[in-house]
Amino acid sequence: MTLSLTLGALVSLICGLDRVAILQMMISRPIVAAPLTALLLGEPLVGLQIGVMVELLWLARLPVGAAVPPDDTQVAIASSVLVIALGQSLNASGTELLLLCLFVAVPLGKFGQYFDRYARQYNVRLVKQVSAALSRGSFLVAEGQHLRGLISFSLSSLGTYAVIILGGWFVIPILWPYVQHPLSYSSSWMQLAFPLVGITVILGTINVSRAITLFCAAFCMSFLLMWLV
Amino acid sequence: MAISWRTRLHIWFRLLLLQASWNFETLQGVGFFYALFPGLRKLYSNEKLPEVSLKYLGYFNTHVYFAPLVAGAVLRLEEDRASGTVVPEVEIDDFKEMVAAPYAAIGDAFFWGGLRPLVAGVALFFAVKGILWAPLIFVLLYNIIPIWIRTVFFSRGYRQGLKSVEFIQRHKLPDLAIHTKEAAVVILGGLSAFMVFSQLTQHQLPSWLGMLTLIPMVMLGLVARKGFSTLLLVFITVSTIFLIGLFWADVVQLIVF
Repeated sequence: MTLSLTLGALVSLICGLDRVAILQMMISRPIVAAPLTALLLGEPLVGLQIGVMVELLWLARLPVGAAVPPDDTQVAIASSVLVIALGQSLNASGTELLLLCLFVAVPLGKFGQYFDRYARQYNVRLVKQVSAALSRGSFLVAEGQHLRGLISFSLSSLGTYAVIILGGWFVIPILWPYVQHPLSYSSSWMQLAFPLVGITVILGTINVSRAITLFCAAFCMSFLLMWLV
Repeated sequence: MAISWRTRLHIWFRLLLLQASWNFETLQGVGFFYALFPGLRKLYSNEKLPEVSLKYLGYFNTHVYFAPLVAGAVLRLEEDRASGTVVPEVEIDDFKEMVAAPYAAIGDAFFWGGLRPLVAGVALFFAVKGILWAPLIFVLLYNIIPIWIRTVFFSRGYRQGLKSVEFIQRHKLPDLAIHTKEAAVVILGGLSAFMVFSQLTQHQLPSWLGMLTLIPMVMLGLVARKGFSTLLLVFITVSTIFLIGLFWADVVQLIVF
């Protein structure tokens, strides 16, 4: 259990930094972060399922300028940890548990926005410190202050991860006996709904003329091809 | 004095940490100073360095993949200014301000709005099939263009200075962004069809039912256009499916007994 949480925290830290502070190589995307976490915990397919469901949800929310989208990275990582760790302790598995973990984690992903904003607000004081260091001629200190920003972003990522894990850890075991059976009637359709809702949001917000026409044409063509072949 | 390739490489690596101290006051300002500092150090004496460095701490914001292009051009302008042989046509601060916002707009539209959904759509085809290489496919496919742009554009910026703007214009990136977005919409259409078709086949339901998926999808797309949050749309959709599931289970039970 402790090992699962620690490994999850490690992935949360690395992917959280990739999200804004360093590299931006997109290892922070849910389709990468969730399978990576689950692979480390020994159940990569769980991560892949979560990645498919979360990847497109907030893809339309662009990190433009000072806009901060919800933290889908931590939602994906923490959900993977919750499904695998709680699956063992509740002796449960399957799509129903995965869905319940996501239902709890997705709203908590909003906390990521608050933590991220707080980190960026906190970093404002680094500007003054760098400026003071440069005025003194302490170049090494000035450079070091820039790297101190990584601490804010790391804490923001770990904070979001901790909130989702703690929230899930308290809520899911209570809800599980009540929702396990009702969820089983529609779990596979709900699993399909997540990426489809994400796609509709992208369609609604993407700046392409006749996006819906193009989408419908692509959908119908692909569907007919699969139907006929 | 020319900046050596070793220093330029150092700056390139530092640009990977551009947003480490991203803040609401100067956005990438401190990061831009941090990245350029090895170059500035080579060009200016310790007496002049604080004054020059402080100029870079101000507001700066561009797309993270285009920052190397700006950095390269600024480095060239600094080199010219420090040597005193060439008088730059515009002030370096003005140049930064002039190019940062348009580059940010082009980058946001192309990378976040076009390339990312496109590659995500392609990778999800593999992921839905249960292929564990899907994340690797995503990372490799996505990063080809950003790495190329970060490397080649930095070198172009340094070589061409102010003229690097013409280099960007020649590539017609805004047009490319629109085409990438269109391709993303087509891929996502194909992906939706594939997921719906697979689901129906799995449940042994008639395939034609899948065409009906377009109705709620288009409706939700129009609702999303009005500014409704994703969370709300997920909640509405999932609750509806949940209730239909319960209702259907009751109907089946009634038919059986």
